[in-house]
This record gives sequence, structure tokens and C-alpha cells, in this order.
Amino acid sequence: MITENPKRQDIHEYLAELEDIPGTRVFTTARARKGYWLNQFCMTLMKAENRARFKADERAYLDEWPMTEVQKQAVLTRDYNAALDEGGNIYFLAKVFFTDEISFLQAVGTMTGMSAPDYQAMMIAGGRPPVGLRSKKDPY
Amino acid sequence: MARITAGVASSHIPALGATIDHGKTQEPYWKDCFAGYDWTRQWEAAQKPDVVILVYNDHATAFDMNFIPTFAIGCAERYKSADEGWGPRPVPEVIGDPDLAWHIAQSCILDEFDMTMVNQMDVDHGLTVPLSLMFGQPEAWPCKVVPLAVNVVTYPPPSGNRCYALGEAIARAVESYPEDITVQIWGTGGMSHQLQGPRAGLINAEWDNRFLDDLVNDPQRLRHIPHIEYLRETGSEGIEMVMWLIMRGALGANVRALHRHYHVPASNTAVGHIVLEPIA
Repeated sequence: MITENPKRQDIHEYLAELEDIPGTRVFTTARARKGYWLNQFCMTLMKAENRARFKADERAYLDEWPMTEVQKQAVLTRDYNAALDEGGNIYFLAKVFFTDEISFLQAVGTMTGMSAPDYQAMMIAGGRPPVGLRSKKDPY
Repeated sequence: MARITAGVASSHIPALGATIDHGKTQEPYWKDCFAGYDWTRQWEAAQKPDVVILVYNDHATAFDMNFIPTFAIGCAERYKSADEGWGPRPVPEVIGDPDLAWHIAQSCILDEFDMTMVNQMDVDHGLTVPLSLMFGQPEAWPCKVVPLAVNVVTYPPPSGNRCYALGEAIARAVESYPEDITVQIWGTGGMSHQLQGPRAGLINAEWDNRFLDDLVNDPQRLRHIPHIEYLRETGSEGIEMVMWLIMRGALGANVRALHRHYHVPASNTAVGHIVLEPIA
């Protein structure tokens, strides 16, 4: 007989909660599976010679990996929200924006729908308050 | 006998490393952020720990999607600064302490923590930025480092409670190490930040400061905070704060705060920093 662990949260409830946060894609195993090749492609950009090859012909470089066309388009257009939807993780995608020689601040700002100066100004003023952004189904 | 003399927590934002490396810490945007580390650099220079157990997370550097260890302890002789996409940070090589690391690994496994042992890995900003913040820009780091990488990227990461208990197991391991050395344990990452999606830029200073308060006053509350609370209240990357609880768990029941610093923003993130001393 398997011993019960009364303190353990139900896994389905745990995973459902992760999907309840507005404007956020938590990197669950489902996303990790979907984004496997997208993220592994990103890892190759940690080598200077690969960054050079990617910059020389992005499409040809992307075609070396078994990524979906949607994933490739998300990279080509630098649409990081689309890349997150396709299973990309921000620390892997960071290899793309470092290849572009832009900062975390600049790249992250592009996902918010705000202009770069407006996003910077919001951060300097103390960041985005959590009020109303904690839950999709029950905002508070 | 080895003993844990202090715990340090700090954010490990990559922009802090770049700012130090480019000599820009006195620029208006950065000045106040870095001023909060002046006390600690002087204190560390006097403390001279033999070893730092440095709890951090790898940011898709040594571990890609092929290997996702929950708790990975570095047992190597040395570690190189990683090329994260803009070339390696110009910092000294990190010198390990394989004897202590293997001792901790064995002791933790006997304590029912199934550690992953790593003999070869490059270390990213998660590990090198805290070293720069506490030690400045020396020719060589003034102590050995045992890296302890925690998965906080692919869900589920370990619970806060599990992290706290691992800290306790690490304390038992250090206490049973026969060498007469002083050891600090550092917990890094956090505080509030979200680096993805339309909700990016989220900062919750009130929550962060309550967390800093309760590292001293009520760590038993902190260890039971569920993942969802970190995510809702402090942003998707705020989950890194579970790593601070490994540090806190290693310090025993009671601590006093020697120094504390909180600053918003550094890039997308709230900077938090605290220095704790165990009270016997």
C-alpha cells in the first residue's frame, strides 16, 4: 500500500493555479516539451561562431533545427510573447536578445506593449504594482 | 571543526555585473543600488571566510533542456565564467572546494536529499554577480566556493519547505566536516521581478520587505509560502526567493540581521540584500 501524504497539494490543482496569473506563462513541463527545440536552438547562440552564423543568415540557421514554422517566425520577428506561447523560456530566449546586443530591460519591455522609455520610466517609478494582476478568475 | 559563521542573501541581476565590469557603479541610475553593498564589502574583508556555499540558479547556461537537476552541487576543482551570449564576464576563475563539496553531497544523501553531483560546469551571472557585489574586483576571489545550483526555471521547483530543510541538512554536513574552517552560506536571486509577458516589470516592495523582516522574525512562516504566492505577489521570477530559504535553514533557529538593503529598480528587478548572523 502507498503511504498517503496529507500535506501534498493535488497536482492538477497546482498546475491549474499556475495558469491563473494574467499576462504570464509559467514554464511548466507542458511548455518545456512544446518548446524543446526552440530552447535548444537558443542554447547554440552561446558560442560566438554560432552567433556569427545566425546573424549572417537567420532563416538558414533556424532551418537547421526541427522547430515549427510558428517558432521560427517568432524568432525572426523577435516576437517574444509568441515565443513564450510556443514554449520558449525567457532565460533561453535571452541568448537571442544578447545576440542582438540588447539588454534584458529593452527585450523584456517589448513584451508589455509599452514603449521602451515608458517601460523604463515605470521601473524607475517603482515598477508595476501587483494590484488587480494577481489572478485571472478572481482579480485582486 | 567547520562552522557556518554567517548567511548572506542578495539579488544576482546580470546588469549589476555588467555595471561593475564597465566601471559604471557611480552613475546616477546605479549609485544608490550599489551603495547598499559598501558595508558588506568591508565586513567580508574583515570576516575572511574560508569557503562560501553559494546557492544560485543556472540560467540556461550549464544546464539546458537536456538535464534539469533540482539540487546540483559543484564538486569540481575550478569553474570558468560562462559566455552567456556577450562573452564571459571578466572575473577571476572560481576555485572550488571538492573535499567539502563531496562531504556535503554524501552527508545530504544520507540525510535523504538526493543530490546531483557536478564535476564540470561553467558558472553564470547567478554565481559571479554575488561574488562581485560582496568582494569587489580582486585579482583572485578571496575564498573557495561550493556552487549549489537549484532548479527554479522548469516547474515545479522545490518547495520553500524543502529548501529550508536542505539548508538544515547542509548545516549538519558542515558541522561534521573535520577541517577547522569558517563557512558562509549565500542565498541569491530575487526579489520581486517578472521578466516575461505583458505583466513584466511587476514589483511588490511591501511583500519583499515582509520577507526580509521574517527571515529574522518568522522563518517558519516563510518556509510554508506556496509557489503560487511568489508568482502572484512577486512576479514569475520572484520564485528565486526559495533559494534564500536554503541559506536561512542553514543558520539555525535564531539569527540577527547585521545589514539590510532594498532598492528598486535594477533593470527589471527589485534588489534585496541582507546579512545574517546565527545566534547560538
